[in-house]
Amino acid sequence: MRIVVAQCTVDYEGRLAAHLPMATRLVMVKVDGCVAVHADGGAYKPLNWMNAPNHLLDEGDRWVVTNLKGERLTITFGAVHFDTRVDLGEDPGLRKDGVEAELQRLLAETPGVIEPGLSLIRREHPTPVGPVDLLCRATDGSTVAVEVKRRGEIDGVEQLTRYLDFLARDRRLAAVRGILCAQAIKPQARQLAEDRGIGWVEVDYDLLRGLDSPVLRLF
Amino acid sequence: MRIRAERDDLADVLGRAARAVSNRSPLPILQGVLCEVEGGRLRVTGTDGEITIRTSLQVEALEEGRTLVPAKLVAEAVRKLPAGAVAMSSAGGQVEITGNGPRFRLRELNVDDYPATAPKATSGGITMDGDLLTRALNQVGVAASGDDARPTLTGVLFEADEEGSRLVATDGYRLAVRDLAGAENFPTTLVPNRALKEVSRTIGDSKITVDLGEREATFGSERGSMTVRVIEGAFPPYRHFFGSFPNRLTVPREALLDAVGRASLVAEDHIPVRLNLHQGGVELSITRQEVGEETEHIEGDFQGEDMTIAFNVRYLTDGVAAVVGDDVVIHATDPVKPGLVTGTDEEGFRYLLMPVRV
Repeated sequence: MRIVVAQCTVDYEGRLAAHLPMATRLVMVKVDGCVAVHADGGAYKPLNWMNAPNHLLDEGDRWVVTNLKGERLTITFGAVHFDTRVDLGEDPGLRKDGVEAELQRLLAETPGVIEPGLSLIRREHPTPVGPVDLLCRATDGSTVAVEVKRRGEIDGVEQLTRYLDFLARDRRLAAVRGILCAQAIKPQARQLAEDRGIGWVEVDYDLLRGLDSPVLRLF
Repeated sequence: MRIRAERDDLADVLGRAARAVSNRSPLPILQGVLCEVEGGRLRVTGTDGEITIRTSLQVEALEEGRTLVPAKLVAEAVRKLPAGAVAMSSAGGQVEITGNGPRFRLRELNVDDYPATAPKATSGGITMDGDLLTRALNQVGVAASGDDARPTLTGVLFEADEEGSRLVATDGYRLAVRDLAGAENFPTTLVPNRALKEVSRTIGDSKITVDLGEREATFGSERGSMTVRVIEGAFPPYRHFFGSFPNRLTVPREALLDAVGRASLVAEDHIPVRLNLHQGGVELSITRQEVGEETEHIEGDFQGEDMTIAFNVRYLTDGVAAVVGDDVVIHATDPVKPGLVTGTDEEGFRYLLMPVRV
């Protein structure tokens, strides 16, 4: 990563023309070739940038970055305050919050969100074709298999159908029915679920997490 | 099929039916509008599979028949012809459109592939004042959600009330209610707001018939009809929000709209405008750390205890703009409970919005 803090002007020609007048900015050249020009504000979006693959021609006080689309980014430097190269090493990647796993954990703690009166029998209940996310007991004594997804799609319904098929063969369980539970469920998945007698429920992940958002909601 | 009609009339019926046609439709055949000539009338149908708009026009019918033509193209082609009579005919897989010189020959789409769109038998529906309905739809429509992740919030609820009928919409952050006193009772139905936005544009008239079925809702007038698939699912319970509001500010509507508009220059969507309600009026203030701030005072009548409450600028603007009359009333309880916006001149419109915690 090359990091330059300098006075510069920036001219972009391509899909449109844009000009940044002379000012002090941060210019980053990443190891993959991406070039980004930042102002001293905003969390993530550069003022101007050029994605890789591109070609950077370093003429000392002027960099010309071009790409195959015919776009051109010209950075003309004035006073340079800082210019260094740092090897950041290999990126371990972004550790996401594991929404699906977290959603399953939260729903296991509060199964009543899925259906009033529902109580948890166990998480990851094994079947010959894989574990059911949540196995629950309904108020009428029936067993409810819950498949938890971030987004409910047809695959999720198919998966739950397979689990239900095997769970129904287990004589120790009472009548078994299924519920697909997700943050959002696609209309086709709902249709298929209803057609197969499977219930579906959309849940609000943020509400389950109890985030202290300043934005208050009616529903 | 062969007809003659006035350019403006023909462009109108084609253009309105074409509004139902979506460029994103999964079926290429739905890019077309169906033109059918029978008994001296041209009937034009456009659909995206969910919304269907039908228009019709008395024409000089030289030959009956039907054709399917690219919707946007035919509408624009007719609109751009010189004023006066226009002839439209289909033969040999082409549709020819001529008028005062220019001639378009457009490739016909396969009319046999077009889905059946014959209007279903209706139960008659409720006929009501068209202006009242479209104004009410505009008032509540601003609160409807555009997020398909929660489909029930993308619709407007039609339901019966003790004194007539009622329209309700919410996106989870605000909720608009419009009572239609004296109107015949609507059966409880959730109609996509996306379609309702088209009612005034496509079939708006002095009288509109509303026919709400279990699967479809149809809005009809002498200018045509629009049919849309209704949303299945339950609208969230909302009546409990309308309790008592101990604090009440009355200010000129235009002055508040102008002030919030000025505040929005400084705000971004996530930065709320603060309303300091006090005896004598309200002080609006907004601060965006990296830009600056704006404050101003609007004189008004305030009853209650001094308090500060903050709202999303756009949500507040939408609610105040939807109020009819010279004055607007903001009702509040405390900084974290819903506020209510109403008018003083018109009964029946209420706009509830959640504050932003500051």
